[in-house]
Amino acid sequence: MSTASSSSSNYEYVTARTRSRKARLFDEDDYRQLTRMGTGEIARFMEESEYDEEMNDLAARYSGVDLIEFALNRNRAKHFDDLLRWADGPLHDYIARYLRRFDAWNVKTAIRGLSSGAARDEIESDLVRTGELSESRTDRLLDANSVEEVVEVLDGTRFGPALDDAVDEYEESASLVPLENALDRAYYRSLLSDMPAETDRATELYVEFLRAEVDFRNLRNALRLARSGSSVDPGEYYIDGGRLFSADELGSLAENTNELIARLRNGVYGERLSGALDELEEADSLIGFERALEEVLLAYSNRLSQLYPLSVCPVFAYVLEKEREVRNVRAIARGREAGLDPDEIEAELVIL
Amino acid sequence: MFELIVGFVSVVLQQGSPAIPGSAGAAIAVGLAGLGAGIAERGIGAAAVGATAEDDDMFGRGLVLTVLPETLVILALVTFFLV
Repeated sequence: MSTASSSSSNYEYVTARTRSRKARLFDEDDYRQLTRMGTGEIARFMEESEYDEEMNDLAARYSGVDLIEFALNRNRAKHFDDLLRWADGPLHDYIARYLRRFDAWNVKTAIRGLSSGAARDEIESDLVRTGELSESRTDRLLDANSVEEVVEVLDGTRFGPALDDAVDEYEESASLVPLENALDRAYYRSLLSDMPAETDRATELYVEFLRAEVDFRNLRNALRLARSGSSVDPGEYYIDGGRLFSADELGSLAENTNELIARLRNGVYGERLSGALDELEEADSLIGFERALEEVLLAYSNRLSQLYPLSVCPVFAYVLEKEREVRNVRAIARGREAGLDPDEIEAELVIL
Repeated sequence: MFELIVGFVSVVLQQGSPAIPGSAGAAIAVGLAGLGAGIAERGIGAAAVGATAEDDDMFGRGLVLTVLPETLVILALVTFFLV
């Protein structure tokens, strides 16, 4: 799908549809029920909800947690593709910008599948078919026989130049990290580059939001690296575009968590993050902190969608909520399969 | 330039009858009201179609909301009875 479009945005239509879909997402009660079910029951529950079509399609081929996961993936792809289909003009561009993350995900899946020797079917079922890459290009990704061929297929797309640079490094080290890094960087770079000229308050906030997302991603990377105790410099994984840190700062702050927390408290997000930061200080657990970060982003996006009803904000809030639902249901299914008890799983969920 | 202004003023300030007769003024009022209602219905209609596409039960409510700005035109029709 092309991003360039000269027509005006059809906010009314798209927001009406997304609001209706948002209302149909699982709510807190559903989650509480789900955490007490076994995998079979979860599958049955999903069959009676939004996911019936996908569940029926896939039930013949998969079972158990795999079935749930593939149905979630496919349903998410369907809904996000609908968004791209409906939206016109600048709105389409705003949505496509964010959904490019699934292009990056698909390419990564293809590369990983190839290097681990997975069959074409297996790779295909892991793809999330939405985003900007066309169907035919995605099929060619699947048909590729080597990582080099994948890079060739992507020639001329947004990811082309970055991958070209990374492929030499890959050939030297035979590790996928440079390629995956290049993909992520290309995605985040395109997230904030050449925004359309239409700038009202809501669009400004949307850009700010994307910036926050970049900041949080940097923050998460740095904290994870610091926790894992590896010697990699977080600055190397730094993504441009955020407004909180520079690459050098991030490197030194990651080593000193207290300083980092102090910095965050005084920074632009200080007020909104205070709950999350308290958690990080007290519990000293990254899981809790990351969950809190996500809750902050979600709550903020919901608030924006009420303040600016005719803008990209409600659509974006829906995208985030849908992603959260997919992640939550997946966490529940996986958790139940591993035999965790409901309370433990509930602690992992992002519920507003 | 000066003659133009004089010409314009003399049309507007015609002696005897006004430049725009009462019924023509009322017609303009209704026309503009219709235009305004149309602009308002554009957005509501798009949203209503979107809502109906997601949920058929929204058809009735969508229809009512879509034609609400139509009241503007009905009020504008009052001008016809005033002149």
